[in-house]
Amino acid sequence: MASTVELASSFIEGAPPGELADVVAAHNGEIAGIKSGGGYARSRVVYVCGEADTFAGKVIVSGFNELEDNRYFDPESQTSFEVDHTTQTASAAQSYALESEHADLIKSLLKSFGVHAREHYPSCSYGVYPIENDTVIAIVLVANRYSPNNFWNGRFRAIYQLPVSSLPSALTGNIHVDVHYYEDGNVALNTTKPVNISIPSVSAESIVSRIAATERDYQEALNRAFVQTSEGVFKGLRRQLPITRQKVEWEKVGGYRLGQDISGGKGR
Amino acid sequence: MTLAMTIPDPNATPPHAIGDNDLLRRLNPRDTKTNLQAITTIVPDLTEDLLSSVDQPLEIRRCPQTNRDYLLCDYNRDGDSYRSPWSNEFDPPLEDGTVPSERVRKLELAANESFDVYRELYYEGGVGSVYFWDLDDGFAGVILLKKGVTPGSQSSGEWDSIHVFEATDRARMSHYKLTSTVILHLANKTEALGDMDLSGNMTRQVEVDLPVESDASHVANVGRLVEDMELKMRNLLQEVYFGKAKDVVGELRSLGPLSDANRDRETQREMIMSMQK
Repeated sequence: MASTVELASSFIEGAPPGELADVVAAHNGEIAGIKSGGGYARSRVVYVCGEADTFAGKVIVSGFNELEDNRYFDPESQTSFEVDHTTQTASAAQSYALESEHADLIKSLLKSFGVHAREHYPSCSYGVYPIENDTVIAIVLVANRYSPNNFWNGRFRAIYQLPVSSLPSALTGNIHVDVHYYEDGNVALNTTKPVNISIPSVSAESIVSRIAATERDYQEALNRAFVQTSEGVFKGLRRQLPITRQKVEWEKVGGYRLGQDISGGKGR
Repeated sequence: MTLAMTIPDPNATPPHAIGDNDLLRRLNPRDTKTNLQAITTIVPDLTEDLLSSVDQPLEIRRCPQTNRDYLLCDYNRDGDSYRSPWSNEFDPPLEDGTVPSERVRKLELAANESFDVYRELYYEGGVGSVYFWDLDDGFAGVILLKKGVTPGSQSSGEWDSIHVFEATDRARMSHYKLTSTVILHLANKTEALGDMDLSGNMTRQVEVDLPVESDASHVANVGRLVEDMELKMRNLLQEVYFGKAKDVVGELRSLGPLSDANRDRETQREMIMSMQK
């Protein structure tokens, strides 16, 4: 049996995009908020932190750029910052010098990936980080669109890892799309697409162009899947009209026997 | 006859009327069962409220008397036993299980017969069950329909309809109040797509006065109400699951380069401006 803290933390991890604060506040915080305690730090959710005074944009908070004491770093702005997970805000920025043997590759990846991200994601944050003792480079993208007034929120996340010890190699990772729609109901789209991309050469431009092609192919596959599921599985569950194209004649499908055999006319 | 708690309080909060604060409206509808267990572990006080107000996919059981499948819900439960709509018997057997009055049972039988035809016409398979119970000034009932498909090993779909209604007697009329929930789970997996899961539930309500000549009118009235509601909800689900969700993905990521789109918008704006001059 999972502990109360683990159960509460699972709610925080499972919070839909843009609704973490609502999940924490539900039932006066009695379930996810208070009970989870240190659940935020444990969950290692990749999410985007709200704007703080010192940052021009939003920054990524993930296990890949975590320092200690709730501090995280951003190689592009060369700063580290403290994160309040409850309010999802960053503060107390300090300059941070990236220490990596692959600093040049990281910088050129940031540049190329930034161009790609801005071309396809109207609202996004990204980061490139050395991880696992500088043997792997992580490329992370988070794109959010929140429209709570229209009862929907969405999030696109791409997380890639490139082993740099034996270049050129292959990029592995996952693309996740989460959409939540909750007007008089609760509907969620959750996808996970594992990717494995071979890298022809160790240039940032060629790596990013392979990523761009993979993301495009995936979005096209997802768009096709919406149409196929609608035309296939959904139609197979319930027809829009019976095969006769006629609605049910309720007086003739069994109910008439009730009038004749049972109540003999007037019902009550 | 025991006055079991399976008879719903007509004044109780309907399933859809979930407060803004409710956690289950936020959490993944695919995991409702697990989340429900977790919440009630943390806050046991909520157990009864949640179990009676949260719609979960329906379970199927086979009636030992008739060998026909029927659906389980809170409305045909008494203790740990469930009443089969085909035999009117509880399984496991109950000596004093709550059953409808003779008149309402006859209506229930007729409704089951009619909705069986309805199920064949619209679902071409699946399982259905109708349960009625007496009210002081009329009667109430629930119409349940369930169908699952697995066309390939890698894709699956499950549809659960739960229609709860009350019919209140008026002079030569009856006032019907219908609350309908559809739970729809769809899953898809291919090499190019990876895993795709579209899950959720939607609830809608309608109230209407309809003429009643005999008891047979009730079955036809409820039948038409449910038929119209399911058509509306099917269209709504189609719009949300395949239209809205796809649109949001398009809002998150643009297939074409945004700089082209911005340039096109700018050109268009300039054209409109020049035409206005």
